[in-house]
Amino acid sequence: MDIVVLIKQVPDSTEVKLDPKTGHLLREGIGSIMNPDDRHALEAAVRLKEAQGGKVVALSMGPAQAVDIVSEAIGMGADEGILLSDSAFAGADTWATSSTLGKAIEKIAKYDLVLCGRQAIDGDTAQIGPQVAEYLGLPQVTYACDIEAARDDGTIMVKKRGEGGYEMVQCPLPAVLTVIAEMNRTRYPAIGRLIDACAERAPVQIWNAADIGAKTGEVGLAGSLTHVIRTFAPKGGRRTEMLEGDTGTVVRTLLEKLQEKHLVLPGAQAGAVGQEGKKS
Amino acid sequence: MIRSNAQNLIRESMARFVDNEVVPKAHELDATGEFPRELFEELGRMGVFAIRYPKAKGGAGGNCVLFCTVCEELARGLMSLAATSAMQALMGTNFLFRYGSEELKEKFFHPAMRGEKVACFCLTEPEAGSDLGNASTQAVPTAGGFIINGMKTWVTNGPVADFYTVLCQTNPEKKFKGLNFFFVPADTPGLSRGKPFDLLGTRNTKICEIAFKDCFVPLDHLLGAEGQGMTNLLSILAEIRTMTAALAVGLQRAALNDSIRYARERAQFGKTIGEYQLIQAKIANMAVDLEASRLLTYKAARMVDDKLPCLAEASMAKYFATEAACRAADLSTRIFGAYAYSMEYSPQRYYRDTRFLLYGGGTHEILQTNIAKWAGL
Repeated sequence: MDIVVLIKQVPDSTEVKLDPKTGHLLREGIGSIMNPDDRHALEAAVRLKEAQGGKVVALSMGPAQAVDIVSEAIGMGADEGILLSDSAFAGADTWATSSTLGKAIEKIAKYDLVLCGRQAIDGDTAQIGPQVAEYLGLPQVTYACDIEAARDDGTIMVKKRGEGGYEMVQCPLPAVLTVIAEMNRTRYPAIGRLIDACAERAPVQIWNAADIGAKTGEVGLAGSLTHVIRTFAPKGGRRTEMLEGDTGTVVRTLLEKLQEKHLVLPGAQAGAVGQEGKKS
Repeated sequence: MIRSNAQNLIRESMARFVDNEVVPKAHELDATGEFPRELFEELGRMGVFAIRYPKAKGGAGGNCVLFCTVCEELARGLMSLAATSAMQALMGTNFLFRYGSEELKEKFFHPAMRGEKVACFCLTEPEAGSDLGNASTQAVPTAGGFIINGMKTWVTNGPVADFYTVLCQTNPEKKFKGLNFFFVPADTPGLSRGKPFDLLGTRNTKICEIAFKDCFVPLDHLLGAEGQGMTNLLSILAEIRTMTAALAVGLQRAALNDSIRYARERAQFGKTIGEYQLIQAKIANMAVDLEASRLLTYKAARMVDDKLPCLAEASMAKYFATEAACRAADLSTRIFGAYAYSMEYSPQRYYRDTRFLLYGGGTHEILQTNIAKWAGL
């Protein structure tokens, strides 16, 4: 089975801070990593290849330094890596990103499955996988947590996590799956493969807009359907108030404050425990 | 063409491994003193032990700089795991790789690279440490091979090893020129292992004495041309000392990072202790020592890779980085104050583990004597 895995380089932090003046991400002192969910997608792809044969291509879009996650993907078992890097891709929203990735996948041409993480820890949109599927006109299964080997009838059985349970989805190939962390435990890259990925003749290609046949206006900011007017961090945030006194006093005060905010029904009482003020 | 930097990539990858898999277990492993088999096998699967061997012959195709990078990161997490791994990647397998038959390599070298077999190196004897010319373990030629008799001590990985590279004397009259390395599988009749030593530090590095009583080994177990043992040992001595310096750099980083974190958290008299100049001075000294150690270590590593004579540079790196690691561990115990006296905090482990670095790869008493000579005295 030939698999394309979409991977993204993200800041190594879930606590993204913004410059209050410019609205830009503050990246100083924060390293970059492969998006965690994408790592699970890559692991799933490599395991499918190991079980059934085929080829895994890691595909990313980003600035030149994003080549590091493409190299890391080769270290984890991908056979080839492709980085889409061009100033024309800058400022892309999720649709422009998805359609650019889609064009690259069309150029790759030979694939049975496209895997990607559910969402990236920087943008948290979870839109790329579904939009790539839409662009390519392929069926999609999101929140995949297990994949069975491909069947002879050209379908694949995917276990999909839903609210309060799981669904088993039989899906025709080719298809796009978005993967969650529950899927697997990821491996650490093999040292020898990492060294290979950095060599002059490494199986890593850099494609620009012309390489994927993208026209001006189709990619980057110009190809985006949405435009960001302003980015800001919400003001306020959590306000913590510590209640003091014995247990009964604390419970009564807490109830009063919750009632003031209409979070519990008026008249609710602290009960015997609170009234005694002894037990907790 | 845009390409990743291998050293950065390997450092980041190893750092993630160390932070996720080693650091959370380091305290408990140190307390139990057990051989870290699970982590060791994982490192084998990752190809860490193969890093300095050429790709065409079953290695990972790396070099001394990359090897040192891995050693440094591992030492930042747990010195005993780093020391065990360095033994596996360098001294324990080097002569088997260079001089072993294809059959021996198939049976022992390649599984060792995968972490399936444990390698070790027997050099020191009860009466011959720095004075290796006085080694008395003898290999006497016999029909079809050699008979080995003698005793080795301070054998790192000795209690858990599957095979040993043993320095033996084949002709005592020749002193250094009578020294040779022999490959001895652990199940060789006559080989016995002593009880693991109760160690001050690096408690997961299992060390013991190994006794050889009429151990027969076939001719192809002689590793290298006869009489070349000392020359062959000298050929990797610079790399051994550079690697030891890298271990010391890793320990310094751990001590410095923990000290900074603690100095930022611990408050006294209304401010964090990091705001006091005496603490800042300690942190500054550690940082400067670390930077100097790095420069010396990686300079020597690059010289090893460029095949330049660098025993002096490697010895200076080992000497300086290890002494700096001792200073860093000591300073971290002062920054942590009384908490450093508790076995629950890491500075005590760093303090104990630095002792291992003082002796491995050459005592500082010998190194200083040689460095003075190289300096022109």
